[in-house]
Amino acid sequence: MTTLQGHAIHISLDKCRGCVHCMTACPTQAIRIKDGKALIAGDRCIDCGECIRFCPNDAIDSRTTSFQDLSAFKYKVAIPATVLYGQFDNASLPSEILFALRRVGFDYVYELSTICELNTAAIEKYIDGHPRPRPLIASVCPVVVRLIQRRFPSLCENIIPIEPPREIAAKILRANLPRILKIAPADIGIIHITPCPAKMVSINYPVSMEKSYLDGAISIRDIFNPIFQALRQTKEEAIMSRLFPETIFSGIGMGTALSGGETRGLKTHRTVAVSGVRDTMRVLDQVETGLLKDVDLLECMVCPDGCVGGPLAVENRFLAKSRILRLVNLLGERTVMDSSDINALFHKDFLSFQNPIKPIQAHPLDDDAGRAIQKARRRTRLIRQLPGKDCGACGAPDCRTLADDIIRDLAAVSDCPFMKEAK
Amino acid sequence: MMSEESAFHQEFPVAGGDFTRAGKVSCEIKNLVKELGLSDRVVRRIAIASYEAEMNIIMYARAGRLDLSITPDRVQIVVEDSGPGIEDVELAMTEGYSTATPEMRELGFGAGMGLSNIKKNADIFEINSEVGRGTKLQITFLTNGQRA
Repeated sequence: MTTLQGHAIHISLDKCRGCVHCMTACPTQAIRIKDGKALIAGDRCIDCGECIRFCPNDAIDSRTTSFQDLSAFKYKVAIPATVLYGQFDNASLPSEILFALRRVGFDYVYELSTICELNTAAIEKYIDGHPRPRPLIASVCPVVVRLIQRRFPSLCENIIPIEPPREIAAKILRANLPRILKIAPADIGIIHITPCPAKMVSINYPVSMEKSYLDGAISIRDIFNPIFQALRQTKEEAIMSRLFPETIFSGIGMGTALSGGETRGLKTHRTVAVSGVRDTMRVLDQVETGLLKDVDLLECMVCPDGCVGGPLAVENRFLAKSRILRLVNLLGERTVMDSSDINALFHKDFLSFQNPIKPIQAHPLDDDAGRAIQKARRRTRLIRQLPGKDCGACGAPDCRTLADDIIRDLAAVSDCPFMKEAK
Repeated sequence: MMSEESAFHQEFPVAGGDFTRAGKVSCEIKNLVKELGLSDRVVRRIAIASYEAEMNIIMYARAGRLDLSITPDRVQIVVEDSGPGIEDVELAMTEGYSTATPEMRELGFGAGMGLSNIKKNADIFEINSEVGRGTKLQITFLTNGQRA
Protein backbone atom coordinates (compact mmCIF):
# COMPACT_ATOMS: atom_id res chain seq x y z
CA MET A 1 0.00 0.00 0.00
CA THR A 2 1.35 3.37 -0.89
CA THR A 3 0.17 6.77 0.20
CA LEU A 4 1.73 9.76 -1.47
CA GLN A 5 3.19 12.58 0.52
CA GLY A 6 0.75 15.48 0.49
CA HIS A 7 -2.20 13.37 -0.63
CA ALA A 8 -4.94 11.17 0.77
CA ILE A 9 -5.61 8.88 -2.20
CA HIS A 10 -3.87 5.52 -2.05
CA ILE A 11 -3.93 2.38 -4.12
CA SER A 12 -3.92 -1.12 -2.63
CA LEU A 13 -1.51 -2.89 -4.95
CA ASP A 14 -2.82 -6.34 -4.02
CA LYS A 15 -6.28 -5.37 -5.27
CA CYS A 16 -5.14 -3.35 -8.28
CA ARG A 17 -5.42 -5.35 -11.51
CA GLY A 18 -3.80 -2.76 -13.72
CA CYS A 19 -6.91 -2.06 -15.79
CA VAL A 20 -7.31 1.42 -17.25
CA HIS A 21 -10.51 2.63 -15.54
CA CYS A 22 -8.93 4.98 -13.00
CA MET A 23 -6.34 6.19 -15.47
CA THR A 24 -8.85 7.29 -18.09
CA ALA A 25 -11.16 8.78 -15.45
CA CYS A 26 -8.47 10.99 -13.93
CA PRO A 27 -9.18 14.59 -14.99
CA THR A 28 -5.57 15.74 -14.50
CA GLN A 29 -3.87 12.76 -16.19
CA ALA A 30 -2.13 11.88 -12.92
CA ILE A 31 -2.36 8.08 -13.22
CA ARG A 32 -0.14 5.69 -15.19
CA ILE A 33 -0.09 1.91 -15.30
CA LYS A 34 3.45 0.69 -14.68
CA ASP A 35 4.31 -3.02 -14.40
CA GLY A 36 0.63 -3.91 -14.23
CA LYS A 37 -0.25 -1.56 -11.37
CA ALA A 38 -1.72 1.93 -11.19
CA LEU A 39 0.61 4.66 -9.99
CA ILE A 40 -0.35 8.22 -9.05
CA ALA A 41 1.91 11.16 -9.87
CA GLY A 42 1.77 13.29 -6.74
CA ASP A 43 2.46 16.58 -8.48
CA ARG A 44 -0.56 16.16 -10.75
CA CYS A 45 -3.09 14.65 -8.32
CA ILE A 46 -5.67 17.06 -6.87
CA ASP A 47 -7.36 14.45 -4.62
CA CYS A 48 -10.72 14.78 -6.36
CA GLY A 49 -11.44 11.08 -5.92
CA GLU A 50 -12.70 10.40 -9.46
CA CYS A 51 -10.45 7.31 -9.48
CA ILE A 52 -12.20 5.99 -6.35
CA ARG A 53 -15.53 6.14 -8.17
CA PHE A 54 -14.29 4.34 -11.26
CA CYS A 55 -12.15 1.53 -9.79
CA PRO A 56 -14.05 -1.74 -10.34
CA ASN A 57 -11.88 -3.61 -7.81
CA ASP A 58 -12.17 -1.30 -4.80
CA ALA A 59 -8.42 -0.89 -4.93
CA ILE A 60 -8.44 2.88 -4.46
CA ASP A 61 -9.32 4.46 -1.19
CA SER A 62 -8.43 7.54 0.73
CA ARG A 63 -6.56 7.74 3.98
CA THR A 64 -9.02 9.12 6.50
CA THR A 65 -9.11 9.03 10.29
CA SER A 66 -9.93 5.60 11.73
CA PHE A 67 -11.89 4.83 14.87
CA GLN A 68 -8.69 3.69 16.58
CA ASP A 69 -7.17 7.10 15.97
CA LEU A 70 -10.00 8.57 18.02
CA SER A 71 -8.84 6.82 21.18
CA ALA A 72 -5.97 9.33 21.38
CA PHE A 73 -8.50 11.90 22.58
CA LYS A 74 -10.29 11.97 25.93
CA TYR A 75 -13.05 14.13 24.56
CA LYS A 76 -14.29 13.51 21.05
CA VAL A 77 -16.20 16.08 19.04
CA ALA A 78 -17.85 15.40 15.69
CA ILE A 79 -18.57 18.05 13.07
CA PRO A 80 -20.58 16.18 10.44
CA ALA A 81 -20.95 17.64 6.95
CA THR A 82 -24.64 18.32 6.30
CA VAL A 83 -24.41 15.66 3.56
CA LEU A 84 -24.72 13.12 6.39
CA TYR A 85 -28.40 14.07 6.84
CA GLY A 86 -29.21 12.70 3.41
CA GLN A 87 -27.60 9.29 3.90
CA PHE A 88 -30.12 7.32 5.96
CA ASP A 89 -33.51 6.02 5.03
CA ASN A 90 -34.28 5.13 8.64
CA ALA A 91 -33.88 8.66 9.95
CA SER A 92 -35.50 11.70 8.49
CA LEU A 93 -34.49 14.35 11.01
CA PRO A 94 -30.96 15.68 11.50
CA SER A 95 -31.45 15.62 15.26
CA GLU A 96 -31.90 11.84 15.17
CA ILE A 97 -28.66 11.44 13.28
CA LEU A 98 -26.78 13.74 15.62
CA PHE A 99 -28.22 11.80 18.56
CA ALA A 100 -26.98 8.55 16.97
CA LEU A 101 -23.51 10.04 16.53
CA ARG A 102 -23.30 10.39 20.30
CA ARG A 103 -24.21 6.71 20.64
CA VAL A 104 -21.43 5.85 18.24
CA GLY A 105 -18.90 7.34 20.62
CA PHE A 106 -18.72 11.10 20.26
CA ASP A 107 -19.02 13.18 23.40
CA TYR A 108 -20.25 16.20 21.55
CA VAL A 109 -21.64 16.96 18.11
CA TYR A 110 -21.56 20.34 16.43
CA GLU A 111 -24.14 21.06 13.77
CA LEU A 112 -22.70 22.69 10.68
CA SER A 113 -25.66 24.25 8.82
CA THR A 114 -25.58 27.43 10.93
CA ILE A 115 -21.90 27.92 10.14
CA CYS A 116 -22.62 27.29 6.45
CA GLU A 117 -25.11 30.15 6.66
CA LEU A 118 -22.45 32.30 8.35
CA ASN A 119 -20.07 31.43 5.52
CA THR A 120 -22.57 32.50 2.85
CA ALA A 121 -23.18 35.80 4.67
CA ALA A 122 -19.43 36.41 4.96
CA ILE A 123 -18.96 35.70 1.24
CA GLU A 124 -21.66 38.27 0.47
CA LYS A 125 -19.89 40.87 2.63
CA TYR A 126 -16.60 40.14 0.93
CA ILE A 127 -18.14 40.51 -2.54
CA ASP A 128 -19.68 43.85 -1.59
CA GLY A 129 -16.36 45.14 -0.28
CA HIS A 130 -14.33 44.02 -3.29
CA PRO A 131 -15.54 45.27 -6.70
CA ARG A 132 -12.59 43.51 -8.39
CA PRO A 133 -11.62 40.95 -9.59
CA ARG A 134 -14.60 39.18 -11.14
CA PRO A 135 -15.70 36.49 -10.89
CA LEU A 136 -14.78 35.82 -7.30
CA ILE A 137 -14.49 32.10 -6.68
CA ALA A 138 -15.76 30.40 -3.52
CA SER A 139 -13.16 28.29 -1.69
CA VAL A 140 -15.31 25.78 0.20
CA CYS A 141 -14.30 22.86 -2.04
CA PRO A 142 -10.65 22.05 -1.21
CA VAL A 143 -10.14 20.36 -4.57
CA VAL A 144 -11.09 23.53 -6.43
CA VAL A 145 -8.44 25.43 -4.47
CA ARG A 146 -5.82 22.80 -5.35
CA LEU A 147 -6.97 22.70 -8.96
CA ILE A 148 -6.66 26.48 -9.29
CA GLN A 149 -3.20 26.51 -7.68
CA ARG A 150 -1.88 23.95 -10.16
CA ARG A 151 -3.90 24.33 -13.34
CA PHE A 152 -5.20 27.91 -13.24
CA PRO A 153 -2.53 29.73 -11.19
CA SER A 154 -3.53 33.17 -12.47
CA LEU A 155 -6.94 32.71 -10.80
CA CYS A 156 -5.51 32.39 -7.27
CA GLU A 157 -6.32 36.06 -6.75
CA ASN A 158 -10.00 35.37 -7.55
CA ILE A 159 -10.40 32.98 -4.61
CA ILE A 160 -12.43 34.44 -1.75
CA PRO A 161 -10.12 34.36 1.29
CA ILE A 162 -12.70 33.09 3.75
CA GLU A 163 -12.21 29.81 5.59
CA PRO A 164 -14.75 27.05 4.88
CA PRO A 165 -17.48 26.25 7.45
CA ARG A 166 -15.77 23.10 8.78
CA GLU A 167 -12.67 25.07 9.81
CA ILE A 168 -14.67 27.95 11.29
CA ALA A 169 -16.74 25.49 13.34
CA ALA A 170 -13.57 23.81 14.63
CA LYS A 171 -12.04 27.20 15.39
CA ILE A 172 -15.08 28.16 17.46
CA LEU A 173 -14.91 24.87 19.36
CA ARG A 174 -11.15 25.18 19.97
CA ALA A 175 -11.64 28.66 21.36
CA ASN A 176 -14.40 27.68 23.75
CA LEU A 177 -14.49 23.98 24.67
CA PRO A 178 -11.32 23.83 26.87
CA ARG A 179 -12.71 26.65 29.00
CA ILE A 180 -16.28 25.34 29.18
CA LEU A 181 -15.33 21.70 29.80
CA LYS A 182 -12.15 22.42 31.78
CA ILE A 183 -10.27 19.91 29.64
CA ALA A 184 -6.75 20.38 28.27
CA PRO A 185 -6.89 21.46 24.58
CA ALA A 186 -4.74 18.49 23.55
CA ASP A 187 -7.28 16.06 25.00
CA ILE A 188 -10.04 17.35 22.75
CA GLY A 189 -10.25 15.73 19.32
CA ILE A 190 -12.31 17.61 16.73
CA ILE A 191 -13.24 15.36 13.84
CA HIS A 192 -15.00 16.24 10.59
CA ILE A 193 -17.32 13.62 9.09
CA THR A 194 -17.20 13.88 5.35
CA PRO A 195 -17.99 12.36 1.94
CA CYS A 196 -14.78 13.92 0.55
CA PRO A 197 -11.27 12.45 0.22
CA ALA A 198 -9.66 15.88 -0.03
CA LYS A 199 -10.74 17.05 3.43
CA MET A 200 -8.01 14.93 4.96
CA VAL A 201 -5.48 16.61 2.69
CA SER A 202 -6.74 20.06 3.64
CA ILE A 203 -6.34 19.08 7.31
CA ASN A 204 -2.87 17.56 7.00
CA TYR A 205 -1.51 19.99 4.42
CA PRO A 206 -3.48 23.23 4.78
CA VAL A 207 -2.85 25.95 2.20
CA SER A 208 -4.49 29.01 3.76
CA MET A 209 -3.42 28.49 7.38
CA GLU A 210 -0.46 27.24 9.38
CA LYS A 211 -2.37 24.45 11.05
CA SER A 212 -5.90 23.12 10.59
CA TYR A 213 -8.30 23.51 13.52
CA LEU A 214 -9.49 19.96 12.84
CA ASP A 215 -7.76 16.83 14.14
CA GLY A 216 -9.00 14.51 11.44
CA ALA A 217 -11.77 13.45 9.11
CA ILE A 218 -13.79 10.25 9.16
CA SER A 219 -15.38 9.17 5.91
CA ILE A 220 -19.12 8.63 5.70
CA ARG A 221 -18.25 5.20 4.25
CA ASP A 222 -16.55 4.22 7.51
CA ILE A 223 -19.11 5.63 9.90
CA PHE A 224 -22.24 4.74 7.97
CA ASN A 225 -22.81 1.31 9.49
CA PRO A 226 -22.25 2.30 13.14
CA ILE A 227 -24.74 5.16 12.72
CA PHE A 228 -27.17 2.96 10.80
CA GLN A 229 -27.09 0.34 13.58
CA ALA A 230 -27.45 2.98 16.30
CA LEU A 231 -30.48 4.40 14.51
CA ARG A 232 -32.02 0.94 14.21
CA GLN A 233 -31.54 -0.03 17.82
CA THR A 234 -32.87 3.17 19.25
CA LYS A 235 -36.38 3.66 18.01
CA GLU A 236 -37.34 5.05 21.40
CA GLU A 237 -34.37 7.30 21.39
CA ALA A 238 -35.64 8.80 18.18
CA ILE A 239 -38.57 10.13 20.18
CA MET A 240 -36.20 11.38 22.86
CA SER A 241 -34.00 13.07 20.26
CA ARG A 242 -37.01 15.00 19.09
CA LEU A 243 -37.64 16.14 22.67
CA PHE A 244 -34.00 17.17 23.01
CA PRO A 245 -33.30 18.95 19.76
CA GLU A 246 -29.53 19.11 19.40
CA THR A 247 -29.47 22.54 17.95
CA ILE A 248 -31.09 25.00 15.57
CA PHE A 249 -30.79 24.19 11.88
CA SER A 250 -30.41 26.72 9.10
CA GLY A 251 -32.36 26.32 5.86
CA ILE A 252 -29.83 28.40 3.93
CA GLY A 253 -26.92 26.47 5.46
CA MET A 254 -28.51 23.06 4.87
CA GLY A 255 -28.62 23.70 1.13
CA THR A 256 -24.85 24.21 0.82
CA ALA A 257 -24.37 20.44 0.56
CA LEU A 258 -25.86 20.77 -2.91
CA SER A 259 -24.48 22.53 -5.96
CA GLY A 260 -25.94 26.04 -6.02
CA GLY A 261 -26.26 26.05 -2.25
CA GLU A 262 -23.78 28.81 -1.61
CA THR A 263 -25.20 31.01 -4.33
CA ARG A 264 -28.77 30.49 -3.11
CA GLY A 265 -28.15 32.69 -0.10
CA LEU A 266 -27.09 35.60 -2.31
CA LYS A 267 -30.09 37.50 -3.59
CA THR A 268 -28.74 40.64 -5.19
CA HIS A 269 -25.61 39.30 -6.90
CA ARG A 270 -25.01 37.59 -10.19
CA THR A 271 -23.96 34.04 -9.41
CA VAL A 272 -23.04 30.89 -11.30
CA ALA A 273 -22.86 27.41 -9.78
CA VAL A 274 -20.85 24.62 -11.43
CA SER A 275 -20.44 21.03 -10.30
CA GLY A 276 -18.39 18.07 -11.52
CA VAL A 277 -14.65 18.17 -12.00
CA ARG A 278 -14.57 18.32 -15.79
CA ASP A 279 -17.23 21.01 -16.00
CA THR A 280 -15.39 22.96 -13.32
CA MET A 281 -12.21 22.81 -15.40
CA ARG A 282 -14.11 23.90 -18.50
CA VAL A 283 -15.54 26.94 -16.75
CA LEU A 284 -12.21 27.88 -15.14
CA ASP A 285 -10.68 27.71 -18.63
CA GLN A 286 -13.27 30.26 -19.72
CA VAL A 287 -12.54 32.50 -16.74
CA GLU A 288 -8.85 32.44 -17.69
CA THR A 289 -9.69 33.60 -21.20
CA GLY A 290 -11.48 36.62 -19.73
CA LEU A 291 -15.06 35.38 -19.65
CA LEU A 292 -17.61 35.52 -16.80
CA LYS A 293 -16.41 39.02 -15.91
CA ASP A 294 -19.96 40.11 -15.14
CA VAL A 295 -20.42 37.29 -12.60
CA ASP A 296 -19.90 38.20 -8.93
CA LEU A 297 -19.63 34.74 -7.44
CA LEU A 298 -18.58 31.52 -9.12
CA GLU A 299 -19.30 28.49 -7.00
CA CYS A 300 -17.39 25.40 -8.13
CA MET A 301 -17.74 21.97 -6.58
CA VAL A 302 -15.84 19.14 -8.19
CA CYS A 303 -18.27 16.42 -7.13
CA PRO A 304 -21.37 15.92 -9.27
CA ASP A 305 -24.30 17.88 -7.74
CA GLY A 306 -21.98 19.20 -5.02
CA CYS A 307 -20.71 17.58 -1.81
CA VAL A 308 -23.73 15.30 -1.82
CA GLY A 309 -22.01 13.49 -4.72
CA GLY A 310 -18.77 12.97 -2.79
CA PRO A 311 -16.99 9.67 -3.51
CA LEU A 312 -16.91 8.67 0.18
CA ALA A 313 -20.69 9.02 0.62
CA VAL A 314 -22.77 5.84 0.80
CA GLU A 315 -26.28 6.72 -0.36
CA ASN A 316 -26.71 7.41 -4.07
CA ARG A 317 -26.58 11.12 -4.58
CA PHE A 318 -30.03 11.47 -6.10
CA LEU A 319 -31.76 10.04 -3.04
CA ALA A 320 -29.46 11.94 -0.71
CA LYS A 321 -30.16 15.13 -2.61
CA SER A 322 -33.90 14.57 -2.45
CA ARG A 323 -33.73 14.10 1.35
CA ILE A 324 -31.66 17.23 1.82
CA LEU A 325 -33.96 19.24 -0.44
CA ARG A 326 -36.86 18.15 1.74
CA LEU A 327 -35.00 19.47 4.78
CA VAL A 328 -34.23 22.70 2.97
CA ASN A 329 -37.91 23.14 2.14
CA LEU A 330 -38.90 22.25 5.68
CA LEU A 331 -36.54 24.82 7.15
CA GLY A 332 -37.26 27.42 4.48
CA GLU A 333 -35.31 30.61 3.92
CA ARG A 334 -35.23 31.32 7.63
CA THR A 335 -31.84 32.55 8.77
CA VAL A 336 -30.60 31.71 12.22
CA MET A 337 -27.40 33.77 12.46
CA ASP A 338 -27.63 37.25 13.91
CA SER A 339 -26.47 39.82 11.37
CA SER A 340 -24.58 41.88 13.97
CA ASP A 341 -22.72 38.71 15.04
CA ILE A 342 -21.80 38.07 11.41
CA ASN A 343 -20.57 41.65 11.10
CA ALA A 344 -18.47 41.40 14.23
CA LEU A 345 -16.84 38.08 13.21
CA PHE A 346 -16.22 39.36 9.70
CA HIS A 347 -14.52 42.56 10.84
CA LYS A 348 -12.50 40.77 13.51
CA ASP A 349 -11.01 38.70 10.66
CA PHE A 350 -12.18 35.62 12.51
CA LEU A 351 -13.33 34.11 9.21
CA SER A 352 -10.40 35.09 6.95
CA PHE A 353 -7.51 33.11 5.54
CA GLN A 354 -4.24 33.44 7.45
CA ASN A 355 -2.22 33.12 4.25
CA PRO A 356 -3.18 33.95 0.68
CA ILE A 357 -3.47 31.05 -1.78
CA LYS A 358 -0.27 30.88 -3.80
CA PRO A 359 0.10 29.43 -7.30
CA ILE A 360 1.99 26.16 -7.61
CA GLN A 361 3.97 26.17 -10.82
CA ALA A 362 3.31 23.08 -12.87
CA HIS A 363 6.46 21.53 -14.30
CA PRO A 364 7.22 23.27 -17.58
CA LEU A 365 8.47 21.13 -20.46
CA ASP A 366 11.96 22.40 -19.70
CA ASP A 367 13.53 25.08 -17.52
CA ASP A 368 15.26 26.54 -20.55
CA ALA A 369 12.92 28.39 -22.90
CA GLY A 370 14.69 27.23 -26.08
CA ARG A 371 14.73 23.59 -25.03
CA ALA A 372 11.06 23.79 -23.94
CA ILE A 373 10.16 24.95 -27.46
CA GLN A 374 12.17 22.09 -29.00
CA LYS A 375 10.34 19.62 -26.79
CA ALA A 376 6.96 21.08 -27.74
CA ARG A 377 7.90 20.65 -31.42
CA ARG A 378 8.95 17.07 -30.84
CA ARG A 379 5.73 16.38 -28.98
CA THR A 380 3.60 17.76 -31.85
CA ARG A 381 5.45 15.42 -34.25
CA LEU A 382 4.97 12.47 -31.89
CA ILE A 383 1.25 13.14 -31.49
CA ARG A 384 0.94 12.99 -35.29
CA GLN A 385 2.81 9.65 -35.41
CA LEU A 386 0.96 7.89 -32.57
CA PRO A 387 -2.19 5.96 -33.56
CA GLY A 388 -4.63 8.28 -31.74
CA LYS A 389 -6.66 5.39 -30.38
CA ASP A 390 -6.27 6.54 -26.75
CA CYS A 391 -6.47 2.88 -25.70
CA GLY A 392 -4.30 3.13 -22.61
CA ALA A 393 -2.33 -0.04 -23.41
CA CYS A 394 0.97 1.87 -23.15
CA GLY A 395 0.20 2.79 -19.55
CA ALA A 396 -0.70 6.42 -20.28
CA PRO A 397 -4.35 7.53 -20.52
CA ASP A 398 -4.16 8.78 -24.13
CA CYS A 399 -1.75 9.27 -27.01
CA ARG A 400 -1.18 12.93 -26.26
CA THR A 401 -0.19 12.18 -22.68
CA LEU A 402 2.14 9.40 -23.88
CA ALA A 403 3.80 11.91 -26.22
CA ASP A 404 4.14 14.28 -23.30
CA ASP A 405 5.67 11.55 -21.13
CA ILE A 406 8.12 10.63 -23.90
CA ILE A 407 9.51 14.16 -24.25
CA ARG A 408 9.78 14.35 -20.46
CA ASP A 409 11.78 11.07 -20.52
CA LEU A 410 9.11 9.22 -18.55
CA ALA A 411 8.11 6.82 -21.33
CA ALA A 412 9.34 5.48 -24.66
CA VAL A 413 7.76 5.28 -28.12
CA SER A 414 8.09 1.48 -27.86
CA ASP A 415 5.57 1.51 -24.97
CA CYS A 416 2.88 1.87 -27.64
CA PRO A 417 1.93 -1.60 -28.95
CA PHE A 418 0.83 -0.18 -32.30
CA MET A 419 4.15 1.56 -32.87
CA LYS A 420 5.91 -1.76 -32.26
CA GLU A 421 3.82 -3.41 -34.97
CA ALA A 422 4.65 -0.67 -37.40
CA LYS A 423 8.35 -1.37 -37.02
CA MET B 1 17.38 35.33 -30.80
CA MET B 2 16.55 31.95 -32.11
CA SER B 3 16.35 31.23 -35.79
CA GLU B 4 12.96 30.82 -37.45
CA GLU B 5 13.56 27.12 -38.08
CA SER B 6 13.80 26.30 -34.39
CA ALA B 7 10.60 28.15 -33.45
CA PHE B 8 7.45 26.32 -32.46
CA HIS B 9 4.70 26.63 -35.06
CA GLN B 10 1.15 25.48 -35.02
CA GLU B 11 -1.82 26.37 -37.18
CA PHE B 12 -5.32 26.44 -35.73
CA PRO B 13 -8.18 26.65 -38.24
CA VAL B 14 -11.39 28.30 -37.05
CA ALA B 15 -14.75 27.95 -38.83
CA GLY B 16 -16.99 30.99 -39.04
CA GLY B 17 -20.30 30.61 -37.18
CA ASP B 18 -19.12 27.58 -35.22
CA PHE B 19 -20.19 28.74 -31.76
CA THR B 20 -20.17 25.22 -30.35
CA ARG B 21 -16.39 25.14 -30.56
CA ALA B 22 -15.94 28.68 -29.33
CA GLY B 23 -12.91 28.96 -27.06
CA LYS B 24 -11.35 25.61 -28.01
CA VAL B 25 -8.44 27.09 -29.95
CA SER B 26 -7.59 29.81 -27.46
CA CYS B 27 -7.74 27.26 -24.66
CA GLU B 28 -5.28 25.04 -26.50
CA ILE B 29 -2.96 27.99 -27.07
CA LYS B 30 -3.23 28.97 -23.41
CA ASN B 31 -2.33 25.48 -22.19
CA LEU B 32 0.59 25.30 -24.60
CA VAL B 33 2.18 28.54 -23.42
CA LYS B 34 1.61 27.48 -19.81
CA GLU B 35 3.61 24.31 -20.43
CA LEU B 36 6.42 26.35 -21.90
CA GLY B 37 6.83 27.92 -18.49
CA LEU B 38 5.80 31.51 -19.28
CA SER B 39 4.68 33.64 -16.34
CA ASP B 40 1.01 33.68 -15.32
CA ARG B 41 0.59 37.30 -16.40
CA VAL B 42 1.81 36.71 -19.94
CA VAL B 43 -0.23 33.51 -20.18
CA ARG B 44 -3.32 35.43 -19.14
CA ARG B 45 -2.74 38.16 -21.73
CA ILE B 46 -2.17 35.59 -24.47
CA ALA B 47 -5.30 33.70 -23.41
CA ILE B 48 -7.52 36.78 -23.51
CA ALA B 49 -6.16 38.10 -26.82
CA SER B 50 -6.38 34.75 -28.60
CA TYR B 51 -9.91 34.19 -27.33
CA GLU B 52 -11.04 37.57 -28.70
CA ALA B 53 -9.35 36.84 -32.02
CA GLU B 54 -10.93 33.40 -32.24
CA MET B 55 -14.37 34.85 -31.45
CA ASN B 56 -14.00 37.57 -34.09
CA ILE B 57 -13.57 34.86 -36.74
CA ILE B 58 -16.50 32.82 -35.41
CA MET B 59 -18.80 35.83 -35.22
CA TYR B 60 -17.96 37.72 -38.39
CA ALA B 61 -15.91 35.68 -40.88
CA ARG B 62 -16.57 32.70 -43.13
CA ALA B 63 -13.37 31.02 -42.06
CA GLY B 64 -9.98 31.85 -40.70
CA ARG B 65 -7.05 30.63 -38.69
CA LEU B 66 -4.69 31.46 -35.88
CA ASP B 67 -1.02 30.86 -36.63
CA LEU B 68 0.95 30.51 -33.46
CA SER B 69 4.72 30.81 -33.41
CA ILE B 70 6.87 30.80 -30.33
CA THR B 71 10.53 31.64 -29.87
CA PRO B 72 12.28 32.13 -26.52
CA ASP B 73 11.75 35.88 -26.63
CA ARG B 74 8.31 36.22 -28.20
CA VAL B 75 4.94 34.63 -28.81
CA GLN B 76 3.25 35.70 -32.01
CA ILE B 77 -0.26 34.98 -33.22
CA VAL B 78 -1.14 35.86 -36.79
CA VAL B 79 -4.88 35.84 -37.33
CA GLU B 80 -6.18 35.75 -40.88
CA ASP B 81 -9.75 35.46 -41.99
CA SER B 82 -11.75 35.56 -45.15
CA GLY B 83 -14.70 37.69 -44.24
CA PRO B 84 -16.37 41.05 -44.74
CA GLY B 85 -13.33 43.07 -43.63
CA ILE B 86 -13.56 46.23 -41.57
CA GLU B 87 -14.55 49.51 -43.21
CA ASP B 88 -13.27 51.90 -40.59
CA VAL B 89 -10.47 50.24 -38.63
CA GLU B 90 -10.00 53.22 -36.33
CA LEU B 91 -13.67 53.20 -35.39
CA ALA B 92 -13.65 49.42 -34.90
CA MET B 93 -10.75 49.80 -32.49
CA THR B 94 -12.80 52.08 -30.21
CA GLU B 95 -13.93 50.48 -26.99
CA GLY B 96 -17.64 49.77 -27.07
CA TYR B 97 -17.98 49.97 -30.85
CA SER B 98 -19.61 46.83 -32.18
CA THR B 99 -21.44 45.57 -35.23
CA ALA B 100 -22.72 42.52 -33.39
CA THR B 101 -26.29 41.49 -34.10
CA PRO B 102 -28.88 41.43 -31.27
CA GLU B 103 -28.64 37.59 -31.31
CA MET B 104 -24.91 37.72 -30.68
CA ARG B 105 -25.38 40.23 -27.88
CA GLU B 106 -28.00 38.00 -26.32
CA LEU B 107 -25.37 35.28 -26.17
CA GLY B 108 -23.12 37.69 -24.32
CA PHE B 109 -20.87 38.49 -27.27
CA GLY B 110 -20.23 41.68 -29.12
CA ALA B 111 -19.67 44.12 -26.27
CA GLY B 112 -17.38 46.05 -28.61
CA MET B 113 -14.31 45.20 -26.62
CA GLY B 114 -12.79 42.63 -28.97
CA LEU B 115 -10.16 44.46 -31.02
CA SER B 116 -9.37 47.04 -28.36
CA ASN B 117 -9.00 44.23 -25.84
CA ILE B 118 -6.55 42.40 -28.10
CA LYS B 119 -4.51 45.57 -28.53
CA LYS B 120 -4.56 46.25 -24.80
CA ASN B 121 -3.16 42.81 -24.02
CA ALA B 122 -0.56 42.66 -26.79
CA ASP B 123 2.90 44.24 -26.82
CA ILE B 124 2.81 44.85 -30.56
CA PHE B 125 -0.43 44.93 -32.52
CA GLU B 126 -0.91 45.34 -36.23
CA ILE B 127 -4.12 45.23 -38.19
CA ASN B 128 -4.78 45.18 -41.92
CA SER B 129 -8.22 44.86 -43.33
CA GLU B 130 -9.66 44.89 -46.80
CA VAL B 131 -13.40 45.30 -47.25
CA GLY B 132 -14.93 42.25 -48.93
CA ARG B 133 -11.81 40.14 -48.51
CA GLY B 134 -10.82 39.79 -44.88
CA THR B 135 -8.79 40.93 -41.95
CA LYS B 136 -5.27 40.14 -40.78
CA LEU B 137 -4.04 40.72 -37.24
CA GLN B 138 -0.51 40.35 -36.04
CA ILE B 139 -0.42 40.03 -32.26
CA THR B 140 2.97 39.88 -30.56
CA PHE B 141 3.88 39.28 -26.93
CA LEU B 142 7.45 40.01 -25.91
CA THR B 143 8.42 37.45 -23.34
CA ASN B 144 12.18 38.07 -23.41
CA GLY B 145 12.80 34.61 -22.13
CA GLN B 146 10.85 35.66 -19.03
CA ARG B 147 10.03 32.63 -16.94
CA ALA B 148 7.61 32.03 -14.15
